Amino acid sequence: MIQVENIRKEFELTKKQQKENNTTDKVALAVDDVGFECQPGRIFSLLGPNGAGKTTTLRMLAGILKPTQGSIKINGLDIQKQANEAKKDIGFLTGSTGLYERLTANEIIEYFAKLYGVGKEDFEKRKENLYSLLGMHDFQDKRIGRLSTGMKQKVSIARTMIHDPKVVIFDEPTSGLDVITAENIIKLISDCKTQGKTVIFSSHIMSEVDLLCDDLAIIHKGKIVHRSTMQEFRENMQTNSLTAEFIRIINANN
Amino acid sequence: MIFTIFKKELKDTLRDRRTIIAMIVVPVLVFPILLGLSTSVSKYFADKQKEEVLKIAVVSDVTENQFTQRLSAIPDSLGPKELIFRGDTIGLKKEISLDSIQLAIVIPSSFDQEQAANQQSVIQVYHKGVNLGNKDRVKGYISLIEDTFLEERFQRLNLETQLLEPISEVYIDISSEKEVIGKVAGGFLPYLFIIFGFIGCMYPAIDLFTGEKERKTLETLLTTPVPRWKILIGKMMVISLSGIAAAVFALVGMFAGLRLFNIVDIPGLSAVIDGILTPSFILGLLVLLLPLTIFFAGIMIPATIYAKSFKEAQSVLTPVNFIILLPAVVGMLPNIELDYTTALIPIVNIVLATKEMVAGTIDPILLIISYVVMVTVAALSVLFSYKRFGKESNIIS
Repeated sequence: MIQVENIRKEFELTKKQQKENNTTDKVALAVDDVGFECQPGRIFSLLGPNGAGKTTTLRMLAGILKPTQGSIKINGLDIQKQANEAKKDIGFLTGSTGLYERLTANEIIEYFAKLYGVGKEDFEKRKENLYSLLGMHDFQDKRIGRLSTGMKQKVSIARTMIHDPKVVIFDEPTSGLDVITAENIIKLISDCKTQGKTVIFSSHIMSEVDLLCDDLAIIHKGKIVHRSTMQEFRENMQTNSLTAEFIRIINANN
Repeated sequence: MIFTIFKKELKDTLRDRRTIIAMIVVPVLVFPILLGLSTSVSKYFADKQKEEVLKIAVVSDVTENQFTQRLSAIPDSLGPKELIFRGDTIGLKKEISLDSIQLAIVIPSSFDQEQAANQQSVIQVYHKGVNLGNKDRVKGYISLIEDTFLEERFQRLNLETQLLEPISEVYIDISSEKEVIGKVAGGFLPYLFIIFGFIGCMYPAIDLFTGEKERKTLETLLTTPVPRWKILIGKMMVISLSGIAAAVFALVGMFAGLRLFNIVDIPGLSAVIDGILTPSFILGLLVLLLPLTIFFAGIMIPATIYAKSFKEAQSVLTPVNFIILLPAVVGMLPNIELDYTTALIPIVNIVLATKEMVAGTIDPILLIISYVVMVTVAALSVLFSYKRFGKESNIIS
């Protein structure tokens, strides 16, 4: 479960950035008073146009960035105060994640399993499951640099899931991927829900949202401008498509 | 956990061709190649000059003068020459400038009479100063001829040759060969360590920090339940180890070049090298190198965390390299020694301590002071790195 309460994130601006942005403000506000809850066994989608604050919010959830204000709890653990304990429960995957090109798939999976403190037996069992599920046996000993984008994405998935996280955060997980590769991710998100994990993912592709999502929030200029279940969203639509409705809400809050 | 990170980063680093070249290949090969090239090139030119037949015009009204006779008598083993006799200097300058003649010696017609009367004769030597070595060769000839005349004068005047040298000095050197080499070459060793230690640290530092940012793997690493300081230390250990390895490989390359291939032919050098390269000396060097490379890592990491690309990191670190080299150059200056002042200056103290260690004249108290100073500076640089690594604007591109 993820509980987000009134989080705010300010970034300090350098003089150069102030000049570039044509502002005298010393800070830029990326996320402003955002709060929501993601339940286990449900998929929560964070929607928003580019630069809305989706990635910053998810990075705060994953403990990479510290909120300026507010609190985030992962399965009851405060991500700031009990960072390392809370992080053990999180799996984090982004569409732009890189992998160590000079290591093999096996070496990367083993490395991350160790970093998450996964025991040897659990590691072997989970690795076997993930490799079978994703069809990774053929390229497990190849260096990442020699793999195709699809294969790399599979390694990323296995890397995200090797410690069997209870909470999974996906930041635009399918961006830049072809449909076949994106399908692996869609299936993974769906499987996570079946396994009772708490899932949050950010996207601006409405077809994915339609397919997967149970709850959603729309973020624009750092603020939540809409929050509901997917069911409610569909029922209260004022336009004839999900994309048109998304654009309507954004425009209404400009 | 630190060891897990260290092991992974080491494996990753050792698979990077750029790091292997900077850490092993260049340090091992640079000295044998440099020594080999410089000695063979200088030998080639020396041989060429020795074999070159010098065309010397001897200008005199009197062809059968004493000078010409004695010049002809000088054996070719001192450099082959061909004498051309001329009655005047017409066209000589042009011929020398065109290199059809290399030298011309103008001998006064009164030469023999002057010598017989124990007087001084003035001879003129035309030469082209840009042809290095020709003047030296003719100076050698003249000096030989002069000696023969001098001997004859002493005989004529019934004088002892000792009159020319009122003092005959005998030098007795009480410093050991090791000390001499230590003072002369000792400054060079730490210089070597600093250059190669720095280069050895540089590529892994860029790869493990800027590289992680560039390849977008840092974000994932920071989501793991590993405290940032452990990640930093794990990576730092690899950087430091790589610096030490590069310095050690450079040392191996240098000694292999000097010893195994006998590139530089100095009598007794092998024995001196054996005397210097004792296990305790090597261990001492490694202990000294440790805080030095940690310090390098500590000052490189903030730059590599800040940089957004490999290229940017390299351009930030190159001027740092020059700054670091300054104290190494200071250490090479002959009259600067390790004392209570220099022991307090980081890097300079390590350079001077290494020099003293090579010479075997190290004062243990000064060594301890130097070491404590360097460890403190290294610790401060680690702390500085930690602060920069924790800064959000540095880690998120």
